[in-house]
This record gives sequence, structure tokens and C-alpha cells, in this order.
Amino acid sequence: MSQANQIKGKIMEELKYIGKSFPRIDGKEKVTGAAQYVDDLEYGPNLLHTEIVESTEPFAKIIKIDTSRAEKVPGVVTVITGKDFPYKFGLYMKDRYIMAQDVVRFVGEQVAAVIARDPKTARRAAKLVKVKYEPLTPVFDQMEAIKKNPILIHPDLGEYTHVPWFYPKAKTNIAHWKKVRLGDMEKGFAEADVILEDTYHVPRYAHCCMESHIAVGKLDQADRLTVWSSSQSPHTQRHLFAEALAPLGFTHKDIRVITPFIGGGFGGKAGVTMEILAAAFATKVKGNPVKVRWTRAQEFYNTYMRQAVLSKLKMGAKKDGTITAFEISNYWDAGPYVEYGANVVNASGLSAAGPYRIPNVKIDSLCIYTNLPAAGPYRGFGYSEMMFGVESHMERMAQKLGMDPVEFRKKNAFKGGDLLVYGAPMNANGFDECIDRVAEAIEYGKKAVSEDPNKVIGKGIAGAWKGPAMPPNASSSAFLKFSEDGSINILVSGIDMGQGYLTVMAQIAAEILTVPVEKIRTENPDTDRNAYEWQTVASHVTWSCGNAVKRAALDAREQIFETVHAAYLYDKSTLYLEDECVKCTIDPEFSLPLKDFVIDGIMVKDGTFRGGPILGKGMFMPEFSSTKSDPETSQGGKPNVHYTVGAGGLIIEIDKETGKVKVLKVAEAFDVGKAINPDLVNGQILGGFMQGLATALYEDMRFGENGEILNPNFTDYKIPTALDIPDEIIPIIVEVPQNDGPYGARGIGEHTMIPVMPAIANAVEDALGIRIKSMPITAEKIAMAIKAGVKEVD
Amino acid sequence: MAIAHEFEYFKPESLEEAVKLKARYGDRARLLAGGTDLIVKINDELESPEAVIDLKGIKEMKRLEFKDGRLFIGPLVTFSELIDSPEVREKFPLFIEAAETVASGSIRNRATLVGNICSAVPSLDSGTPLLTYEAEVIARGEDGERTIPIAEWFVGPKKNALKEGEIVVGVSIPEPPKKHGGCYVKLGRYRGEDLAQVGVGILALEGNEYRVAFCAVGPIASRADKIEKLLQGKKLDNGLIEEAIKLVPEEIAPIDDIRATGEYRMHMAGVMLGRGLRAAVARLNGQGPEYGISVI
Repeated sequence: MSQANQIKGKIMEELKYIGKSFPRIDGKEKVTGAAQYVDDLEYGPNLLHTEIVESTEPFAKIIKIDTSRAEKVPGVVTVITGKDFPYKFGLYMKDRYIMAQDVVRFVGEQVAAVIARDPKTARRAAKLVKVKYEPLTPVFDQMEAIKKNPILIHPDLGEYTHVPWFYPKAKTNIAHWKKVRLGDMEKGFAEADVILEDTYHVPRYAHCCMESHIAVGKLDQADRLTVWSSSQSPHTQRHLFAEALAPLGFTHKDIRVITPFIGGGFGGKAGVTMEILAAAFATKVKGNPVKVRWTRAQEFYNTYMRQAVLSKLKMGAKKDGTITAFEISNYWDAGPYVEYGANVVNASGLSAAGPYRIPNVKIDSLCIYTNLPAAGPYRGFGYSEMMFGVESHMERMAQKLGMDPVEFRKKNAFKGGDLLVYGAPMNANGFDECIDRVAEAIEYGKKAVSEDPNKVIGKGIAGAWKGPAMPPNASSSAFLKFSEDGSINILVSGIDMGQGYLTVMAQIAAEILTVPVEKIRTENPDTDRNAYEWQTVASHVTWSCGNAVKRAALDAREQIFETVHAAYLYDKSTLYLEDECVKCTIDPEFSLPLKDFVIDGIMVKDGTFRGGPILGKGMFMPEFSSTKSDPETSQGGKPNVHYTVGAGGLIIEIDKETGKVKVLKVAEAFDVGKAINPDLVNGQILGGFMQGLATALYEDMRFGENGEILNPNFTDYKIPTALDIPDEIIPIIVEVPQNDGPYGARGIGEHTMIPVMPAIANAVEDALGIRIKSMPITAEKIAMAIKAGVKEVD
Repeated sequence: MAIAHEFEYFKPESLEEAVKLKARYGDRARLLAGGTDLIVKINDELESPEAVIDLKGIKEMKRLEFKDGRLFIGPLVTFSELIDSPEVREKFPLFIEAAETVASGSIRNRATLVGNICSAVPSLDSGTPLLTYEAEVIARGEDGERTIPIAEWFVGPKKNALKEGEIVVGVSIPEPPKKHGGCYVKLGRYRGEDLAQVGVGILALEGNEYRVAFCAVGPIASRADKIEKLLQGKKLDNGLIEEAIKLVPEEIAPIDDIRATGEYRMHMAGVMLGRGLRAAVARLNGQGPEYGISVI
């Protein structure tokens, strides 16, 4: 190797910005309250306000809407009903309208809207809108909805447009039926020494973002439609607005979506829900911005919820611990509109057998329409729900076999290169290391005894995995602009909803361009200004947008070298960057600060200039992903770009009289490929664990007889507070590089909540000998089971 | 918050003026102190008063003082002010233990004790300490002032003993005649703020005297007479606790709601009574967990 290449090689090896826990670049702004959210922005004195008239019926025909009295209230600008916008929208399946047309399908559905000069007037007038319904018989239970001759929630399902990988069953309530078939089930079960069959149930949950949904739409006199929204998906929103409002003459170029900081997403702000109202209403009040802001109750009713699932599992295994067959039927209660939610059923269906190498697998994942509120994406995208059953079942199978549950999981875990149930290869991964380190951290297998005679201690462990659920061509792109002082603005369209995305993008650019992180701003999205991003979902932006930013930085670097070459005639291969300067391997004296030329270029002898503003661009689209597969077996294709694997373990103490659970210690290990910012990964582990713990122990959504939510508030829907955080949380980072990720990174966001529900159930059984097969495991559920002396709770 | 309901708003500067206004509007007026119940209810349209009489302009209503063996708490005294008073903490530790479980810090900074008892929900945390400390409510109407023993104050779920036109001017609590230990045990669904699914307040006084009250397990918070009768004069031991727990079903009538089933509430009331009695007696003897540490 030449000396020149040695110098360059050394610089390439030593990562200065990647793998370091830089403070968040948006931290000070958020902590001081300087950060602006949609409701903080000023929209001027002409801002109008909206009140929605919501359906009081779970399923009914709309006979008549009388808006006459509301229209006469002084201050009311207009009253809108579904007939004003007879247009459908949806991400993966067009099954819902901007507002209800002739039928309402859940309590809380938007039926009419009052737009007024102030919120009070809108609210008063909305009460005067009279809606006459003819009730239909609703169905709230997914198993009821698929019985013979059901009441059809969507009689025209067969005519709906959808992505090619969905298989709706016309004249049923099955919106999508994902099937996976591998091997020979009969043979697989015949080979088994032990067969375990059971049913698990996970109910609905709500996202509970701190900032509720909000959107402001404005159609200006030049026919430009701008929407400010609290969203994970500005570009996808622009696309869906353009599709839905095309009959009004809008095209993509006319629509602009601006997303400032957002106060949480967790999947609930993915795609389009209520934001379509702001976009549509703006067209009725040209020149005036119009705000639609959800209350906490509306947040529960009319965004997305997490779907409920009933999992029927049958597993066969040999005495040596080899799993021979796994049959899975997941019945998802998806609500009346599944335009996004059907893909939860699809993605989790493909992975429903867990991170385990099993030769004979049969999976049926059914997306079922019901008359409860619409469900859709939520952190984990179906994996938390279906992995509760899988990891509960794995634990119980290990017990039946008399095997150590950790060894049982490791024996069957996918190694890199193993073929997944649909035939594509598994990526290299550190599952074994994750579960071993978690087991070690909680001294798994070593029995602990409480000092308090009323209390018992249990330990539980669970494996986890998840792949990004996205269309095969979901893409990210980035612009990177230098300024006169050598500072950088990165214009991307991902969303920092707490995970640290803005900081990580800056670190990636810093690494390539040797510009310190504090001299880089990553900007929040504006679809007019920033480069395209599909959505900030699927835990994919560090991986996907990280690749795009890296390419943009490399593009900028190439332009820098080109400029220096043009001015100084050094061969480009001899140039490298160090400490914000261009240097040359064959001329140690040469050092040109970036700020001297990244805008103005370099003057040469005759007084002319070379170069000009440096403007890097980069994009990333996976070119190896495909959803083309056999609808009956799912064989073929490569629907998941990679999986992130990991494990969680915890030690709990249960009060036998009260049933209360206290988490004493938690460890979670995930193979993130490369932790670009370890502190931020640790934050994902802590936050994901707590969100998982909430679903396991506290959150308990209840519905009334009419399909109404009985606790759409934090008085009775409990999410943990700081007081409920366990004393000790041990985050463990494992790094088996992802070959196509930026610096080897892969996704880590949703994953950290996935092991929690089964780990809790497994620990409860370890402590008490009681197997609980439904969520949540409330103190009451435990205490009553102990009192009743039962060993299993459905 | 866009409150759609329209009402007359008054902010009197004297008690006399407030009493006059209340007499004029009667039940058509609501009194505003902390507002943590009232404003939420008006916003949710559970209440639609014709008038709201804001008491915050009446200085004397902020009075909090200990004098002649009695604690006086004015209608504008917040839970935070009670909690921050060293004198209240020293003399009425059970009261503070319960007050510290009311909602969250930011709510306690606004919410008032008097507002809490006027709302009179069955789960009110202040109910059991007031019952066991045998507080009195002082009410004033155009016809003058009267004193209502706390045991007669709660008359039904969300119903108190005020007559139309009356205003509460304060709560008066006598210092117990003897040295005492107490324990408030609250069942919530997690460690964060919650409405009690069961509440038990216990005072153990020197000489084996016991006072026991429950909340959230019947239409009103109330003393447990049968349990007290059983315990009176006896030294606490496991056998006695078992006997007391057996009497719980005769004292309370818990219902099923979304927060808990009646069955779990009944079970927990027994567990909490037992642990609360032990803690109260231990605290009387200078032992046991510190006040504020939950025994469940």
C-alpha cells in the first residue's frame, strides 16, 4: 500500500463521529420550550376553527343531516357534510371516505363539521347539527365477524382498490388474508414428541402521544394548498391528499406539507388520518387557514388504535428441543377501516412464527373488519401482539421438554443465511449473544426469594424480532447544503419524534465531511424544500435515510475534491478531508479550509473562479426487496429488507395478596448492527421497555355495549409515570453489522417494546405458577387468580 | 379549552357578598375555588350552571391556622398548602398521608380540601382522615352559620349536606385527645396518580382506641362502626386483625366499574385494613414505615 493510501486508510478506520453519544442537536430547543409545534405557529387573524360532529352509532345508515340551525349561528363560516367530499383515501387500501357518506361504521366517525371564527362558536353550532340514523346491527368481535353469513361492514369490498399483495375476500368481513405455507405440517407434527396448543389474546391499545393530532390547512388565492401537520409522513400525506383531492383539480405540485417538531408518534401519526380534514376543509374557505385539533378523547377514537389479536398456536417439538412444526392463526380485530392496518396483519403474518428456524410452518393472518374504532400502525406493527403468544408458547414448550428456555430458543434461532419461512435468507444477527447477555444480567435460572413473606420473585425472558414493514421500494433522499462559514444544513424529511433522528443524520454527515456536529443542522420537513422521504415508520430512517445522507455527503465530498482538483490540479485520489479542511497525501503542506470555497469557489491565477456552491444530494431505495410471492404460500420474494433481533428479561416481585407487580430489574439487548449514537439507543431501550410495560400491566381499554370507549382519558386509561420506572434498567447493545446499512446500522426503535409482554407473563408464571394468556396482567387479574387457586388464566 | 357553555361570572370580594349571590342563585350557581373539578365538568358539559361565583377574591377564605387545639382550613386552602404546613404534618399525620395521594402535584397546587369534600365523590382521599379526625364543616347562609359533623356531611354519591344557598366557610379539625398513629392505604392501578379504588383510613390512639373509615367502597365515605366496636380496648394481634377483616363485608358495599370489580375491592379492603391497622399501631409506637410509604 502506498503511503498516501495508508494515510487515507487510517482516517477511514477511525470513526470520529459514529458510535459516539453526541447530545441531541434538538435537545436545548426542546428542553427550553423554544421548539415550535403545529399549535405554536401563528396562522394570522383569519384562522378558522373546526368542530366535528361525530357519529353516536357504531353502524348505521345516515338518513338525514340537518345543518340549517348551525349555519345560522353568528360566526359560523360554513357547515360541511360528507356529501361535500365524496372522495376515498387510504395508504394501502382505499376503504374510507374523507367523511362518512351514507353509512357510519364506528362511534366517533366524522359525519359533519362546523367551521367558525372561534372554537366556542364552532362547538356551540356543532350541537345544533341534527343527524338522523337508521341503526344497523354492529359487530364488535372479530370471531363473530367471520362466522357464517355475517353482517357485512363493507358489502362492496370486492371492488376496492388496494396494493397487489393484499387478498381481500369479497362478501366477507375479511379485508386481507395472509397465508404462509412451508413444508409438510402433518409430517412435522408426526415427528414431534411434544405438541402444545393454546390460545392467546392481546386487546386494543392506544398510542397516547403527548401532543394530540392537529393539522392546519390553507388554500391561498393562487390555489396553493399548504397543510401544517403533526405527522410522521409529510410526503406520504402530500401524496394521499393529492390522490384524494384530485377531483378538485389538485396535483402534487400544488400541495405542500410542513411538519415542525412533533410531540410523539408511535405509529399513530403515520399515514393520513384526521389531517385529510384540514386539507379538504381548506378548499371550502379559500384564503383562510383552518385548524382541526383533536381532543384527548378524539385521539382515542379517531386516529388509529393498536389492533387486537386472538392467536391460536400449535407447536410440535422433539425431545432434543428441535421445533418440528408451528401452526399459527392470528385473527386481528382491525376496525371498520384498514387502509393502513391491513399491512400490520400482512407484515406480522409473514413473521408470525418468530425468529426461529422451523421446517414446517402454516400461518394464517386475517385482517377482520369490526365496528370498533379504526386500528392501524402502532410501534411494533403487530409484532408485540403476535410475539406475546409466540414467546409465551416457547417458554411453555421448553418447560414441557424439560429444557432451559434460553437454550431452547438458541437451538432454534435463525442464523445468518438460514432461509426464512417465505424462502428469503435471514441476515447475519446476534440473537444468541442478545439472549445470553440478558440471561446473565438478570441471573436467569437462579431462584430469588423476597424478604417480605407476602411477596414472591419471578424471572422472565423473551426473544424478539422485527423487520421494517414497507413497500419494497420505500425510499429516502437528502439534500446537503454548505454555507459560507462551512456549516451545513441537511434537508431531509424524516421526523424526530424522540428517537434522535436529527442528531444521527448530522453525525453521519459529520463523519464523511469532518465538520463537527454542532456546525450541522438537520431540518424538519417541508415538502417544498426538503428531499423526499417515504415515512418515518418501520424503524427504517436511520438505516434508509442514513444511507441517503451518507450518499449526499459523499456527493458533496466529490464536488469538493472536483473543485480543488480544478483549481490546484491535484489528482482527486490524493485528496482527503480532515478537520474541515481539504488535505493532500502527496503535499503535506496543503490544507484548504472548506469555508474558503464551499460557496464562493476557488480563485485561480487569472482571477477566474473554479467550483461554486456545494450542494450534495443522495437517495436510497432498496433494490433487492420484492413482495412478489405466491398468494397461497408466500413463497418467493424478499418482503423484509432485514430483521433486528434481540431479547428482554426482567425480575419482578409480586405481592401475593394485592397482585401488584413491581419490576426490580430489567435487561434488554438488541443487535442494532452499529449504534451510531449509543445514548440514543439506550433511550430507545428505556422508552420501549416502559411502553411495553404499560401494555403488559396497566393499559386496559374498555368498550361499552354500543362500541363506545369507556375510558378515552388518562383518568382511567393508565400509562406509567416516572414513579413506575423500575429501579434498574440495563441496556445492552450488540453489534453484528448490517452490510447495507450506514456504518453497519440497522433499525432500532419499535423493537424494544416487543419482548416485554411475554417476559412479564413468563416471570409471573415463574413466580406464582400461574400462566396468564391474555393481556394486560393487572394486579386484579393476578390477585383473583391466586384467590381462585387456578393455574391458567385465559 | 373552548368552553361552549355560557354563564354569569362573579368574583365577590367579601364573604357577605358571596353569601348574597349564592342565596340569589341557589343551586343555579356553582362556587369556584381551585376549579379542578368544576372547570372540567363545565367543559365536558356535565354541569351547566347559570352563574359561577369565584371565591378567590375573598382573602379570609385563604385562612389556615391552628388555634386552641383545632385546625381551621379555609375554602381556598389547597392540598399543597396543607402538605407544606409543618404544623399540620406534625399534628395530623394521617391527614397529610392522604392529602399526598390526591391527584398529582400540579393538581394539588390548585385543588382545595373544601372543594374536594363539596364534590363528595365516594373515592375522595380526604374523606377517611376527616372522618377519623372527626372534623366539622362550617356552613353559612343568609340565616347564619351552622356546624355540620363530617359524619353527617356526606349524604350520597356527589351529594353533601349543604342546604340551598349555603356556602362552606371552613373545616375545623380537633387535635386528637391522645397520642396517635395513623395510616391511609389507597388502592390505585399503578404508582402514579389515580382515583382510589379502595381507601382505608385508620387512627390508632393510645389506650387501644381505634378509628377506621373507608372510601370508594360504598356510596359515601364512612366510618366502620362494627369494626371499631370489635377493636375497641383490645391490643392488636393477628387474631384480632383476622376477626376485623371478617367484618369488612358488613361494612362496605363495593360495586363493579371499569376501575375494579366489587370482588377485588372487597378482597383488597380486607388486605388493606389488616396492613393499615398494623402500620397505624406501629407508627403510634414510633415504628413502622414512614408516613407516605404505601403498605400495599
